[in-house]
Amino acid sequence: MQGIRRISSSRWWHKKKNWIFFGIFLFLVFVRISKGSIYKDFYYFISKPFWPGSFQKDLILKSIDQESLIKLNLLKKDNKRLREILSLQELSNDDYISAAVISRKTGSWWRQLILNKGSKDGVEIGSTVIGPGGLLGRVNNTSLFTSSVILLTSPESKVGVWLDRIQINGLLVGLGDEYPSLILYSKYADIKVGDFVSSSPASTLLPPNIPIGIVQSVEEPMKSKKIAKISLLAKPQVIDWVQILKVKIK
Amino acid sequence: MNKFFTKQLCILFFILIPIIFLWHPNWLGFLGVQPYWPLFWLLPWSMIYGSINGLIFGLFLGLILDSLTLDGNFTQIPGLIICGVFFGRIKLHHDNLVGHFRYGLICSFGSFLCGSLYFFQILFKNLSENNFLLFIPSFQNILAEVFLTGLFAPFICSKLLRIFKFSWKKVE
Repeated sequence: MQGIRRISSSRWWHKKKNWIFFGIFLFLVFVRISKGSIYKDFYYFISKPFWPGSFQKDLILKSIDQESLIKLNLLKKDNKRLREILSLQELSNDDYISAAVISRKTGSWWRQLILNKGSKDGVEIGSTVIGPGGLLGRVNNTSLFTSSVILLTSPESKVGVWLDRIQINGLLVGLGDEYPSLILYSKYADIKVGDFVSSSPASTLLPPNIPIGIVQSVEEPMKSKKIAKISLLAKPQVIDWVQILKVKIK
Repeated sequence: MNKFFTKQLCILFFILIPIIFLWHPNWLGFLGVQPYWPLFWLLPWSMIYGSINGLIFGLFLGLILDSLTLDGNFTQIPGLIICGVFFGRIKLHHDNLVGHFRYGLICSFGSFLCGSLYFFQILFKNLSENNFLLFIPSFQNILAEVFLTGLFAPFICSKLLRIFKFSWKKVE
């Protein structure tokens, strides 16, 4: 019995060293399969303090910010002057109402937001609602404390939009999915993927020039129409705060 | 207090439906679509109390849910009424396991019916050349809703059925 025990204790798997080698081998196999990602990530962290130009990058970004700010101010002034000349409406800070999203239905047929500001706060039916990125929809219903917003993706939603690059008006129709369709009533409209879509200056429902989205795909022309799918800039499924524009469109 | 809760449990769950409908928990969704919540309540209710009760409470549910959704032109009432009547004609099954699967299938069918009726309303309301644009997203919505409703129904309906039966016996 003792003899059998002695023999079994000298097997290779009873030696610690062999297991260490086996562990290293497994680790190397893993490194091979992961195509050295561990090494690369490790190198990323240890080399981070020595990267060239991080100081320079900050300086450049700061300059770009300043430049953008100056340009923005100049454009604002220009815009104000031109609007005065054309006797168009102005939006001041008093025309905005900030509201939180308290209920959100962004899937299926019902695509709506419920906000925590209602008729008590001066929200009116038909007011435009914008969020980070651009237009979200319009207020369709108000109660004393809440207001309901019909989203651009809802099958009920139809708004006039403007394609600045080709200077043409179109109709944005919600279909009950994430990408509303843009219908251009011209077979020869030169619409391209990446074109910017904003609210139409001719719209009687929305204030002009509110960013809406970007053309994601263009379908083959049908009869006298061209149809494109639009990727919206404002994402209602993640937005928690919105702004309601009180201004009325003439 | 306990007696009150036992008797009113069905109504308490009824009140919860619009709250869940509004809450719209995205983490339970699939492709941004939620299960059709009212059917989970309507199925056990109609199975216990019969077709007439199913019809009446289908109407009530439809009225409440229509008031919560913006699309004033479309209604969920016809779908829910038909489901209420249909569910009322279904007999309780003795085999629990078969029962669970039945709830899934029945609710899936109900969800398909309600979704299709809603889709046809949208289709007829927007009778124009652009109708074809609605088809793909609508099919996607209906299928996702049918799948999710069928998936959750065995868990929720069997629990609710047990609770409703218990409160019904207490009332009797």
